[in-house]
Amino acid sequence: MNRDYLGEFEELILLTVAFMDGAAYGAAIHQDIRQRTGRSVQLSAVHIALYRLEEKKLVTSEIGGATAQRGGRRKRFFTITHEGRHILSEIRQVREQLWQLIPKMI
Amino acid sequence: MNCEHKPTPPLWVQKLLQYRLPTGLSEEVQGDLDELFDLWVEEMGVPKARWRYIRQALGFLRPLPERKDYYMPTRGNMPPPLLTTYSSINQIGMLRNYIRFAWRNLAGNKVFSAINILGLALGIATCLTVALLVIHEESYDSYHSKRERIFRVEGRNVREGHTYPGNYTGLVHALRNDIPEIEVVVPMYKRGGVTIQEPISGKLFKEPVVFAGNELFRTFDYTWIAGNPKTGLSQPNTIVVTRSQAEKIFGTTQVLGKILQYDSKHNLMIVGIVEDYPVTTSFPFDMLISFASISEIMPDFDLNKWNGWGDDFQIFALLKESVDPQQVSRHFPGIITKYMGKEAVAEKQFLLAPLHELHYTSSFSGHTANPTFLKTLFWIGIFVLCIACINFINLTTTQAIKRAKEIGVRKAVGSNRLALIYQFLIETALIAGIAILFAIPIVYGLLPLINSILGVRLSITDLFSWQTGTIVSCLFVATVLLAGAYPAFYLSAMAPIWALRSNNKTITNRGFTLRQGLVIAQFTVSLVLISCTLLIRQQLSFFQNADLGFNKNAILTVGLPDNSPAKLQLLRTRLLQSAQIKNVSFSFNSASAESNWMQMMEYRLKDTVVRIKTQMKMVDANYIDTYGIQLLKGEVFREGDTLPKVIANEIFLHRMGIQRPQDAIGQVAFYGDGQESVPIIGVVKDFHVNSLHQNIDPTLMMVVPKHFYQGSIKLQSEQLSSQSIKETLAYIEKIWTATFPNQLFEYKFLDDTLSQAYQNEIRTEQMIEVSTFLAIVIACLGLFGLTLFTTQSRIKEIGIRKVLGATVSSIVVLLSRDFVKLVAIALCIATPIAWYMMSQWLQSFAFKITIVWWVFVVAGGGILIITLITVSFQAIKAALTNPVKSLRTE
Repeated sequence: MNRDYLGEFEELILLTVAFMDGAAYGAAIHQDIRQRTGRSVQLSAVHIALYRLEEKKLVTSEIGGATAQRGGRRKRFFTITHEGRHILSEIRQVREQLWQLIPKMI
Repeated sequence: MNCEHKPTPPLWVQKLLQYRLPTGLSEEVQGDLDELFDLWVEEMGVPKARWRYIRQALGFLRPLPERKDYYMPTRGNMPPPLLTTYSSINQIGMLRNYIRFAWRNLAGNKVFSAINILGLALGIATCLTVALLVIHEESYDSYHSKRERIFRVEGRNVREGHTYPGNYTGLVHALRNDIPEIEVVVPMYKRGGVTIQEPISGKLFKEPVVFAGNELFRTFDYTWIAGNPKTGLSQPNTIVVTRSQAEKIFGTTQVLGKILQYDSKHNLMIVGIVEDYPVTTSFPFDMLISFASISEIMPDFDLNKWNGWGDDFQIFALLKESVDPQQVSRHFPGIITKYMGKEAVAEKQFLLAPLHELHYTSSFSGHTANPTFLKTLFWIGIFVLCIACINFINLTTTQAIKRAKEIGVRKAVGSNRLALIYQFLIETALIAGIAILFAIPIVYGLLPLINSILGVRLSITDLFSWQTGTIVSCLFVATVLLAGAYPAFYLSAMAPIWALRSNNKTITNRGFTLRQGLVIAQFTVSLVLISCTLLIRQQLSFFQNADLGFNKNAILTVGLPDNSPAKLQLLRTRLLQSAQIKNVSFSFNSASAESNWMQMMEYRLKDTVVRIKTQMKMVDANYIDTYGIQLLKGEVFREGDTLPKVIANEIFLHRMGIQRPQDAIGQVAFYGDGQESVPIIGVVKDFHVNSLHQNIDPTLMMVVPKHFYQGSIKLQSEQLSSQSIKETLAYIEKIWTATFPNQLFEYKFLDDTLSQAYQNEIRTEQMIEVSTFLAIVIACLGLFGLTLFTTQSRIKEIGIRKVLGATVSSIVVLLSRDFVKLVAIALCIATPIAWYMMSQWLQSFAFKITIVWWVFVVAGGGILIITLITVSFQAIKAALTNPVKSLRTE
């Protein structure tokens, strides 16, 4: 099992990128995490996590077209890669196994 | 395009991000931030959104991970920028590298580092000391909360062009009644050396006291320990003392309601105890007696006098809020006309001197700061620091060859010039930092010396204040820039090819002339300082030895608490019984004194009236003899004279318009509204009634026994052994105490008192002496370093010369010749500067020395000798080296 370690925050971001399905970019992810978890997150943390995931080849990115919305500045869209999906499902499997082992108490 | 007014995020943050983020990144990040900002504005309003925007943006100042496409041109085909490629982590690494190299250089060149650090430390210490002094002097009286509105009403004598701190006693009422813009008028009358007795224990104290009313507490800030500030000192026969005075007299501060006796006769009740005043006060009063007590204690004291004043009676005024001093000054001519008559307007002016200026003119504290002196010190500090910086520049640039390899390698590897300049400035900063660490203990060590020379009280708390912190940081920056800038540019300019070539031992001519120039500048400063020291010394010894027109030696002065003629006669008779005592005289003051009695006299010549401002000397029949004043014509006073008569000096005669002394005998001078008159019975040769700063005033001597406050005792011999002086003093004390029981005996030698007048000049001389010493030490350090370098770099040349038959002396001459030339040039520059400066300084004295040429020769010779000693130390060492040693390796 020599795959990269994925932190909790990174996992959260990766999942967000996955469900956004190609429409994920910094501000959108930031906003989504804030609404979903109620955490106040630094935008820079989101960006850094994204770049790190990209470095680990779990996501890829490309520059989108310009829109009038944000002062004509272009967005960088992130898409989850095959490795990314793989790692997420692995994590999920481990979790699920663990959940099975817990005596029904909840 | 729609141009509706949309809230925008703060521009400076956007700029900051643009500057900070790599080109590839800034677009997406700023886009994200802007988008979120719009959302936040809807969600929580503009101010909160802005605040959040700033917080979020600042998050991007942290180190960001590398991205492979950071430098990809995003728009068009821009080449990658060069300087923005430094990331902050990288810079910290370089900084560490610079400091490591700086440290290695310091440790590898111990002699040069020591010279640099010591020189800079001395320079910075000098500057810091001067700065401490200036801050101290500036802080005087700044603790009074109403200081902006407090003024002293000074009197200006138009014809003399001189302003006196003291004023007419009558002016107090005039100010109170006639000027509505003044809120409070505070008269203060100071008396020195009053005997105060604590009646229960009977202990005696000789203290200066000040008479002031309750107005004092309404104008100046006092912290009360006990008593009522609202009513304190409003009643006669009351006194307020400071905490330390109460502890000194009673040993406790629980002294409210206790009694002190003035002159052992007048009871004064303590109505208040106040905290001790700060060091920086112009009003160092330990005992304040209510102003209303004056008429009880001194029934003779005229509180409505308009024809004479003393500097011990000063009037302060607290102006009403937002009153311009000009408004008040406008009333003064009217007051002069009303109380002194129309003709006085042309002669007298009243001025308002703001509180903060008191410390620089004249105040009750007796400690007066001299702004010119402080300015001189300031410049000396700067010059000493410059000398130290010049050392640094010279030594660092001579070291250039040793650094050449390093610079070459750094450049070859890709360092740009800016980075090298940065590196050398960091090195300088390191050395300056160490120098400051050394400078602070030096200043601490210097403080007692400064305090004793200047009579100030600087303490360790002054050294560790925030002002000192600011000054130290300023000095640090100034030193780094002054000393570091030139070497940094010089070293970083080196061409890498030249630097890396193996055989580059030839010294470039580039820095050489500049180096010579800097050494000349050092010598010039040292020479100017030496010449000034010598000339000031000459002027001081002139002060000490000048012929004053009377004999100041072997005269003792004692106070007279009681001047009833019977007592004085008794004292004199008893004193003269001693074989050691030659003569005794009673008078108002000494032949030359700090506080004088000035009075307007009139001389009537047919119909014209000559008004002469005259110094009155109230003397007895023995005065002229005791002081050895020379009588030119006429006769002296005789014991038992009852009719008023005067003896004049020559200047008085000149003002009268009389040339020959014999013509003056029998002439009459009028005074006191022109009603009273006295005949002149004698003329004396001029003697110095003032210090040598001032001209001799027209002087009249007159016998007025009720104004005798001082006894002058002339001893038999001028060269007494300390044993017989002690015996004589004991005898005088015995007689004096027997005559004036319950009084404290105090004496002074006249020559000591007189030299007090030259305190300022003595201080200047001592300070310049200290800084001259420092300047020369620093300059010698630098010279030593330079010689060390030249001899080292010429060691092969010396070896060859020796092999070819040169003698040791010829080599020493060879090495020292250059420096002698520099000293000669410096002397040519320094002489006119020193001459000009000293002739300016001498302007302030009425009696002065003339500047003679040989002073400069002596200064030049001195510097030359010091230079030669410094240089020859290394030169002889080099000349004595065995040539085999220096030539063996190549």
